[in-house]
Amino acid sequence: MKPTSFITSVAAIAAMTFAGATVALAKSTLEIVKERGNLRCQVGTPSPGFYNLDAKGEWYGSDVSICQAVAAAIFGSKKKLEIQSVSSQVRFTALANGESDMLSRTATWTLLRDTQLGLDFTAVNFYDGQGFMVPKDSGITSALDLKGATVCVLTGTTTELNLADFSRVNKLNIKPVTFEDSNVRNDTYLNGGCDALTNDKSGLASNKAAFPNPDDHTVLPETISKEPLAPAVRQGDSQWFDIVKWTVYALVGAEELGVNKGNVDDMRANSTNASVRRMLGVEGNLHEGLGLSKDWAYNIIKEVGNYGEIYEAYMGGGKLGIGIARSGSANALWTKGGLMYSPPFR
Amino acid sequence: MAIVNGEKTAARSAPLTETSFIGWLHKNLFSSWINAILTVVSIYIIYVAVKGIWVWGVEEAVWVAENRRECFKISKDGACWAGVIQWLENIFYGRYPRPELWRVNLGGLLLVVWMAPLWLPRVKNKIFIGLSTVFLYPFLAGYLFAGGDKGIFMQVVVSGAIICLIGNTLHTIIGVFSGGGLPENLTRLLGKTDASDQNQRNTLLAILAAAFVVVFLLQMGWTVEVVPWTKWGGMFLTLVISGIGITSALPGGIILALGRRSRLPVIRVLSTSFIELFRSVPLITILFMATTMFPLFMPEGFVLNKLVQVTIAVCLFSACYMAETVRAGLQAIPMGQYEAAHTIGLGYWGTMGLVVMPQALKHMIPNIVGSFIGLLKDTTLVSIIGLFDILGMLRSISQDVPWRGLHKEPLLFGALLFFIICFIMSKYSRHLEVKLSAGANR
Repeated sequence: MKPTSFITSVAAIAAMTFAGATVALAKSTLEIVKERGNLRCQVGTPSPGFYNLDAKGEWYGSDVSICQAVAAAIFGSKKKLEIQSVSSQVRFTALANGESDMLSRTATWTLLRDTQLGLDFTAVNFYDGQGFMVPKDSGITSALDLKGATVCVLTGTTTELNLADFSRVNKLNIKPVTFEDSNVRNDTYLNGGCDALTNDKSGLASNKAAFPNPDDHTVLPETISKEPLAPAVRQGDSQWFDIVKWTVYALVGAEELGVNKGNVDDMRANSTNASVRRMLGVEGNLHEGLGLSKDWAYNIIKEVGNYGEIYEAYMGGGKLGIGIARSGSANALWTKGGLMYSPPFR
Repeated sequence: MAIVNGEKTAARSAPLTETSFIGWLHKNLFSSWINAILTVVSIYIIYVAVKGIWVWGVEEAVWVAENRRECFKISKDGACWAGVIQWLENIFYGRYPRPELWRVNLGGLLLVVWMAPLWLPRVKNKIFIGLSTVFLYPFLAGYLFAGGDKGIFMQVVVSGAIICLIGNTLHTIIGVFSGGGLPENLTRLLGKTDASDQNQRNTLLAILAAAFVVVFLLQMGWTVEVVPWTKWGGMFLTLVISGIGITSALPGGIILALGRRSRLPVIRVLSTSFIELFRSVPLITILFMATTMFPLFMPEGFVLNKLVQVTIAVCLFSACYMAETVRAGLQAIPMGQYEAAHTIGLGYWGTMGLVVMPQALKHMIPNIVGSFIGLLKDTTLVSIIGLFDILGMLRSISQDVPWRGLHKEPLLFGALLFFIICFIMSKYSRHLEVKLSAGANR
């Protein structure tokens, strides 16, 4: 063998190896998930309404339902799912290093996060916002009455920054009292350690419901920040991005179209509504672009239910719900004055 | 002029202060006005504190309820133990599938059976039993906990462990009832007592091999369902991590300490820098590094078991602390002991293993147990990186919707559990110290 041909063959082998490596790296998230046989969905440490452990060790909550919906869309079963509970310090790293396939947790969609952390937010599944709670007998009826007040707040969160902004803009001179642990914060508030408590409104509702005398406290009407919460995926895989995004839209769309867990079989068999037929895979080929099976949306609704059902169960008045009223809030359907809106299924 | 009494004076009875209860009170608690006042005040403070805890934790407490709201309805000022009781399985076993809990219990039971002979005075060959606990038990327990398909390696080790367990148990029973051990009794049973040593050994080896084949064939049909590590949790996970950490800490620490005192520069520098590196960083940093940074250096899609990463991190960390404890013990041994060992012709390992270590370890016991207890408590840090160990579970109760805000009771319960375990460990170390220093009290 002449030296040149030897070098050429080495180069060829090397090129093939690298090509192989690139192919392996370029494998889409959907392929990886299907090959593995389950979806790795990241949530946070337990937080009422969004993700919780029950006494049997099972996960439940509205964000857990989003994970289940994506698993159902891919595999036809919500059980093919591994919930990863990750603390907020390492949530984005765990997505970036491939440990998790998607993030379904209370991460606020901000420009900075969307552009600089290597992740893409899909579609908003809950609109939250920061508010205040005060004891009823304090006579305070508006957040603007909180002049010079002490306010209990969790440290190291955007909640703390929002409070500072709000205080500065309105010249209220609010004195924050910071805590690491939400339970300690609540106890301090209950024992009169501060005049008001600030948190996301969903959090306030669940905090209040846990007090010995919930009726002695009231949530002030002002919302001082925007906290759109959306599932997020790694940047650079638009098929995967579409799957997660359209799973959320399928949940909302199903509610718009009146399809729910109970009637989905009937709807698939008998509905004459073209939108319903397209969504449930009776007509058309909407599934092809997503790379999923024809009945992906049917599986979502059959296994998990529509957006309204999820909301009622975990955010609303259900047995495991934290009791936040939906009507009149941003989380109502657009037809009822809210912001929940699904692009058309066609 | 000498006064000499021929008769022995009769012994007077001890003064009242030494014998009667009132005397004792007078001497110890009411010896002066100030002490009397202090005593009364202290007793009052203790009374108030104990009564408060009693009323809150027992008298007014709610033991049975569906959710926290119901607890409040029954009693507003009492503890709500109902939530803790409902979560007991989570607290002890984490998310381990409920029908499979017997595996965790069996694993614990096997450990007790395996280690019990170490405490029974008449059993011989304790070193062998101890070594088999460290090297074989973890594989059997590991398979029991994790389940799934056994590879060929696992099949061999599991068979070995089962044989060892059977052998240990028989050996212990024979030892307790008749003295002597399993090998002698087997030879006697076969009527080979008078045969040559080699013959005896070969017979025993043949029996062992036969037993191995039988057990190997039997265990091939035995598989248990896979339980992924993500479902491990609670007290079980805490004990697994700290158990592995504790078992590996002492050997690792001894090696590192000897390395640090070595005369070979490479070994010394490597050991020293390793120890100093891990000791100067907080455990939580090491855990974060192991779980989040490490995968970034690995190829994409390569996910290492987080539990393994955490366990390795804990082992390295505890070995480094242990190394310094061991080094302190080694330095307490006077030079004369080394010289004496050399005089009778012992080499390095002989000196260390037969003369220095046995004396040094005795001195180290309080510190060793101290670091074990510290390690057990430190492992609760893994709850921060998302493993649901006992602390993670205790904190989750307050977020479960039916039990929202219930956080004092679970943490108190956890404190009690930790106290019990740590107190037993520390009592045992006291006992060990007394036992090992029996020579000093002669």
